[in-house]
Amino acid sequence: MIVEISHFFSILSAGLFFLAFIFSTRTYQGNHNLELLVNRIFSYGFYFIFISFLLYVWLAIQSDFSIRYIAEHSNKDLPTFYKISSIWSAHEGSMFLWILFLAGWSQLFNYLLSKNDLLKAPAIGVLAFIIFGFLIFLLFTSNPFETILPIAPINGADINPVLQDPALVIHPPFLYLGYVGFVIAFAYNTAFLIKGDMQINWEDVIRPWSLAAWVLLTIGISLGSWWAYYELGWGGYWFWDPVENVALMPWLAGTALIHSLYVSSKSKVLRGWTILLSISVFSLSLFGAFIVRSGIIDSVHAFANDPQRGLYLLAFSAVLITTSLIFYVYRLPQLISKNLVVAKSKESFLSINNILFAAAIFAVMLGVMYPLIFDYLYDKRISVGPPYYNTIFAPLTFLAAIFLVFSVGSLWQRTSKLLNFKSFLSMSILFAAAASICISYIYQDFQWWFVGALFSGLLILIRYFLLIVDSMIKKSYFNKPSAIAHIGFGVLILATALNASLSYEKIINIKPGEIYKDSDYEFYLIDFDLINEPNYDSVRAKFSVKNIYTPNKTFFMFPEKRKYFIRGQITSESAIKITPYKDIYMTLGDQLDNGYWVVNIQYNYLIRWIWIAAAIMGIGGFAALMERLKRK
Amino acid sequence: MNTLLRFSILIIPIVGILFFYNLLTEDKFYPGANFKNFNVPNFKLQSLDSASSFKKEDLQNELLLNVWASWCITCRIEHDFLMKLNSEGVRVTGLNYKDESIDAINWLNSYGNPYNFNLHDLKGSLALDMGVTGAPETFLIKDGVVLVHYSGEVNQAIWDSVFIPIIQENKMFK
Repeated sequence: MIVEISHFFSILSAGLFFLAFIFSTRTYQGNHNLELLVNRIFSYGFYFIFISFLLYVWLAIQSDFSIRYIAEHSNKDLPTFYKISSIWSAHEGSMFLWILFLAGWSQLFNYLLSKNDLLKAPAIGVLAFIIFGFLIFLLFTSNPFETILPIAPINGADINPVLQDPALVIHPPFLYLGYVGFVIAFAYNTAFLIKGDMQINWEDVIRPWSLAAWVLLTIGISLGSWWAYYELGWGGYWFWDPVENVALMPWLAGTALIHSLYVSSKSKVLRGWTILLSISVFSLSLFGAFIVRSGIIDSVHAFANDPQRGLYLLAFSAVLITTSLIFYVYRLPQLISKNLVVAKSKESFLSINNILFAAAIFAVMLGVMYPLIFDYLYDKRISVGPPYYNTIFAPLTFLAAIFLVFSVGSLWQRTSKLLNFKSFLSMSILFAAAASICISYIYQDFQWWFVGALFSGLLILIRYFLLIVDSMIKKSYFNKPSAIAHIGFGVLILATALNASLSYEKIINIKPGEIYKDSDYEFYLIDFDLINEPNYDSVRAKFSVKNIYTPNKTFFMFPEKRKYFIRGQITSESAIKITPYKDIYMTLGDQLDNGYWVVNIQYNYLIRWIWIAAAIMGIGGFAALMERLKRK
Repeated sequence: MNTLLRFSILIIPIVGILFFYNLLTEDKFYPGANFKNFNVPNFKLQSLDSASSFKKEDLQNELLLNVWASWCITCRIEHDFLMKLNSEGVRVTGLNYKDESIDAINWLNSYGNPYNFNLHDLKGSLALDMGVTGAPETFLIKDGVVLVHYSGEVNQAIWDSVFIPIIQENKMFK
């Protein structure tokens, strides 16, 4: 019964969003009462989808297995926490959450934007159309409300055990919030292009929304990376998997957008480029949804199924993207500023980085598309792996870092004197070069990417260090959020490079009672425990580990292998010893016939600092958002 | 700026859309379906009632091999359709996957048995060799060669669009 009510509220919500869209097209003449009506209908559309989702959460908590989706993805023995998160563990439910967030962002925008804003009605119309289109997709091709009466099972099928993890409970919501958050920039700019009134200051309206979406997307991607590291047992933090790539593209475009928006709002140049970026970010989010949900690629993330889904998503995205681009192309001559970007001004460096970001997005897109094109043309499966991405990303990142540093002390709309010998820039370059040569020498690693990463990472850190010290002495202003986020970027470059250069692994055969000695550590395998849990059996090794240099500080590590009953899945639970400088990462392999066990020991240097860096970038973005909100 | 040049921006999304449209409407594209042919690997498994053991050579010439388990909810939904196929003369062989035989036999007794016989793959070894990632999955096999591997629930729509064309092409189940 409750499921029918929930279903009904979703249908009602789709109807209301459709009405809001239709009415909004009639507000072109500036009928204020009609505009207020559109806003009102839109709010009710959101309330109904929200109630529908709450009821669905309730059904999941109650373990109502007469609902096919819940029966297939949940289980009555799960803690409530995972019963709720099972909703976004597969296609239908995660689409439902995606739409809820889409409607949530849009409603917040509807609520906060002044009703005198000239673009409010058309922007709300665009949003209503997008939400309506996705609700139709949900209700007709991916219905989570489908029931399987009268054969409702007594218990459900459980969620995949690797997904039963706190990080995975919050990773998809953050990611979706980030993805769909860029819809505001898309909708508002599409409305701007339709209206064509060039006096409107769209930059200031969409900046906080884009920043907020960027922060959430950054958090979402980092959580996914962190989860993959400790749960999948491979010990890596990024795999260049197609689905990671389709999440990375909106992030790259979003990063370019928040910078380009800054330029456009400061000096009214690059407006055409900024609008193109705002269209691209959401288009890339749609592309991601399409790739993941159409079954085109095989991946741990992909939700394979029915071809209608892919066709619908393709058609709907095509309508949104091409309509918006046609208006864009039509208005482009008016958008191009008569003022040219001054050479060696702040805008010029940000423009160069815009180009570098576009190149990076193109490179990732090529990596995703190439296997598909190849398979289509030659019927052969190939994969594009990390060597391709690393080779392209490393130089782009170094160049972007260098131009970022150039932009730090430069001026808006004026040529800046850069390479004056006494300038902070020259000092930073000298220090960074000297330090990176020393560090390369210490680690005896002179590969181009390692030296390049050290130089560009240190350059950022030193330049900001000098900026902060200088501002503190002179008590002058500096852009704190930007400094925080960019320091995070510098740390990210350094941590990634040092991790790649220093990390190594050992694969050993060991049996209880034996000791394995490494250069710094001694691993003593004490014994194995057999553990019987309600939903799995496990074998757990007990290692006592000590550092050779501090032999009285012993610690234990428990790598484990689990076999889950319901799906028969075997998972490996790595044991991780965290130190500030490195992780010791241990996974239990197979047992050999002679009683020995295969154990994999990895030393992952500075891997924590990769996520810390991402967190610092997120904090920087959040601080920028707060500053903007305070100024309003 | 030249109008033609401006509109050329649209070429990128349009080419992309046409490419994906072609990919999705291609005959051989169906999410979850794999049409790459491969030989059934060698195996030796007990039947579900443990009465006899089976090898690759004991499989019939033409059959549908359905991977199922009593713990699998989707298999329960798929079950009605398999009953219908069985009644229409399609030979469906079960590969009971990572399941206790007692649970599986109870399941068949209470819901009905659509299979002509069942292999019991407790450890999932044959399933692993055949590339099974979960249940249900279905293989269309002719003379020891897999023609179709479908992951997910087989229903009338999937049967008509994925299996029937291959069955007609190879003149099976006559």
